[in-house]
Amino acid sequence: MAPKKQKETSSKSRGNLAEDEALDWLKPRTLLVPEDQEEVPEAELDEEVVRILTTINPQWVADEVAYHYGLNKFVVKPKPSFGKAYPLYIYQGTAIRKDSDEAKAQIAAGYGKVGFDDAGPKRVKVKKSAAELEEEEEPEAEAPPTEETKEEDAADEEKPKEGGEGKEEATADDAAADEQTEAVADEGAEEQAPEDAEGQETHDEEVIEIKPRVKKLANQFNFCERAALTYNYPKRSVDTQTVPPPRANFGATCLQCIIFDFYQEDYARKQREKEEEKPKRLRKKTAKHVKSAQQIHDEQLAQRIREAWTILERLVNQNIYDEIAQDYRYWDDPSDEFREGMGSLLPLWKFQFEPMRSHAVCDVQWNPHYQDLFAVAYGSLDFTQQQKEGCLCLYSIKNPAFPEYSVITESPIICLDVYKETPYLICIGRYDGNVCVYNAQLTLESSHQYKSDSVRDKHSNIVWEIKWGARMIDGEASFFSISGDGRVVQWAVMPGELQATTIITLHSSVPPIPGPDGTLLTVNSCGSCICFHPEKADIFMVGTEDGMIHTCSLKYNRNYVRSVQGHHMPVYRIHYNHYNNSIYASCSGDWRVKIWEDGRDEPLFMFELGSPVGDVKWAPYSSTVFAACTADGKVYVYDLNVNKYRPICVQAVVSKKSKKLTRIDFNPKLPVVVCGDTKGTCHVVKLSPNLRVMCRPPKKAQVVDQRTLQVMKLDKLLSLVRDPPFQTGVVDEKFDDD
Amino acid sequence: MAEEGVATVGAAEKVIHTYPLIRHSDMSEEMRVEAMELSVTACEKYSQNNELAARMVKESMDKKFGPAFHVVVGESYGFEITYECTTICYMYFGGNQAICIWKCS
Repeated sequence: MAPKKQKETSSKSRGNLAEDEALDWLKPRTLLVPEDQEEVPEAELDEEVVRILTTINPQWVADEVAYHYGLNKFVVKPKPSFGKAYPLYIYQGTAIRKDSDEAKAQIAAGYGKVGFDDAGPKRVKVKKSAAELEEEEEPEAEAPPTEETKEEDAADEEKPKEGGEGKEEATADDAAADEQTEAVADEGAEEQAPEDAEGQETHDEEVIEIKPRVKKLANQFNFCERAALTYNYPKRSVDTQTVPPPRANFGATCLQCIIFDFYQEDYARKQREKEEEKPKRLRKKTAKHVKSAQQIHDEQLAQRIREAWTILERLVNQNIYDEIAQDYRYWDDPSDEFREGMGSLLPLWKFQFEPMRSHAVCDVQWNPHYQDLFAVAYGSLDFTQQQKEGCLCLYSIKNPAFPEYSVITESPIICLDVYKETPYLICIGRYDGNVCVYNAQLTLESSHQYKSDSVRDKHSNIVWEIKWGARMIDGEASFFSISGDGRVVQWAVMPGELQATTIITLHSSVPPIPGPDGTLLTVNSCGSCICFHPEKADIFMVGTEDGMIHTCSLKYNRNYVRSVQGHHMPVYRIHYNHYNNSIYASCSGDWRVKIWEDGRDEPLFMFELGSPVGDVKWAPYSSTVFAACTADGKVYVYDLNVNKYRPICVQAVVSKKSKKLTRIDFNPKLPVVVCGDTKGTCHVVKLSPNLRVMCRPPKKAQVVDQRTLQVMKLDKLLSLVRDPPFQTGVVDEKFDDD
Repeated sequence: MAEEGVATVGAAEKVIHTYPLIRHSDMSEEMRVEAMELSVTACEKYSQNNELAARMVKESMDKKFGPAFHVVVGESYGFEITYECTTICYMYFGGNQAICIWKCS
């Protein structure tokens, strides 16, 4: 509707058409004349030409003839059966009518995608075929079906041919049309004939069955089906699962306070570790004392209990040994008044230590500080049957039953010495050549405080004697040991260890003997005792196993200052007189005790005791009294002031058959002597008054002290014995400046 | 332990230790030493920036000992982690920093 309106509006304003481009199509068109158009006058153009249309195709040739060379005549060319239609294009299709014979035959054979119609019931088909049969009865010719099919194909093939010809020859249409109709008629007849046969066939066939089959239509000539299948390798499924790495959870909080606390703890721990790095020896001592509060409390409690027990033990012991204790202090043998120049020894106690019953007492020494304490070294002097261990015991007279302090050592102890400055330090020399220092203040659990290094520093032979010496330059304590390997070694007590210095190696006068490898070996003489000069700390005397007595100095480490052939057997003890530093006594296994003066080659006194003398000691209270103990169990006491030739007391302390006396020692304060024997027993005996005669000061000078008196007494004695020394003693001569 | 830095702070007796201190670790000796040195270096280098320090440590540890290391650097945090065994190191450094390194892929 809208465009019509537009037309009306536009027709009103036709005059504007030339301007309006949108209405181009309304513009009157001017004819475009092509260039090669024939020019015709307009009059002719306007002339009307009449044309009449008929159905007759002027082009179509009704009968087309062609010369047939075989027949040698003109023959009507058969026209394609299109009638008057002019075939423009002919294509032979493959479609056939569903109800044709061929179609039916194919369907019966199973080909063709059948549509809906064919899926119908059988009877319908039968009817159809019957109808076809009726139709087929009308046609005239009957030919065998196979030939007819072929003819039909041929006819079909001709069709395109004819069609093609029909194309080419358009003029022969009429004739062709007639021929085509004839052909059609023929074909129709032909078709009907095969249909007839087919109808019969299909009739027969349809009685059997018609199955609709869904299958692709493919003829057997152009299509063939082939199938192939590659070999499928059998498949196998394999799976595995690795074990995942182990995992763990961890959680923490990180705060400034936590960090700080941890650092403090760690710092404290490190401080403790630093302390632990200190030498273990010292630490051992301190470590014993680092204990928890509970432990300290326990210890204090135990200590008090121990004290109580100690007192109780002593009470009990004193009750048992009450008489002896009284005697020890107060009894003086009254018979001495009647025995002029003879004394006796009162046996007081016997000290034994149970594990050491089979050991020999190798050394005894009274404690310089405590008058009731003495130290005993248990070892073994029996070289055929060595004990495996030794013992150091400290006995107190107040408790004769059990030692106050006892320490079992790894090897027998041969000698000991108590340090005068610190009486709790005891140095010992052992059978295996080691030296040790024991601290009696430490608890019994701790072993030695110091020990010589078993590998490097020890003696290679038995340590026969050991003596504390003067402090060294740096203030360290030092002691000297002499052993069978011929060395005198000074040991410095360093913190944590002992430092050894060989002072002198005793060389013997034996010429070097050839050794196993041809070199000459110098023979060392074995030292058996050592004794220091009381005043001059550098001088010491050494006795050897071949009886030589050498005076040595710390300053001279090669030569002896003086040598004296004192004895024929090993010198067991050299002891300086307490009052005169140039007088000393020596005893040896050749049954003799000799008193020497420094500087003289001959002894002043010589005493023969009848059996090997184990020990000789000067009495501390008198300058002329000394005691010796022998292997036949007797103690000999001599007072040179009383009798220069005979002992003033000979007493068997132990029975001769089983025991020998080994060592003897005077108590510095009391008139008591302790002697040890080879069966591990220490005998404490008291000296009778005759043995301890004191000097009476001359009437002229009453205030002179005992010591001076003793010295004077000795001097007087000596002057009787020998000429006064016209030459100063060796010691004084050479070391006067010291 | 490594160097011990003692700085007295303020009044008497207050001492701050800055040396690296392992709080908990079950790494092998070599890995632990490596981790400690690495974290000390990183913390000193990036003392202002924890993230960069942690990144440096993590990348170095990944290169040396394999991927999937986690590193936490900080002064105040709590954590609960799952780690592969023998790969954790929790340490303090500088008196106020805590570094936690662990591996978990």
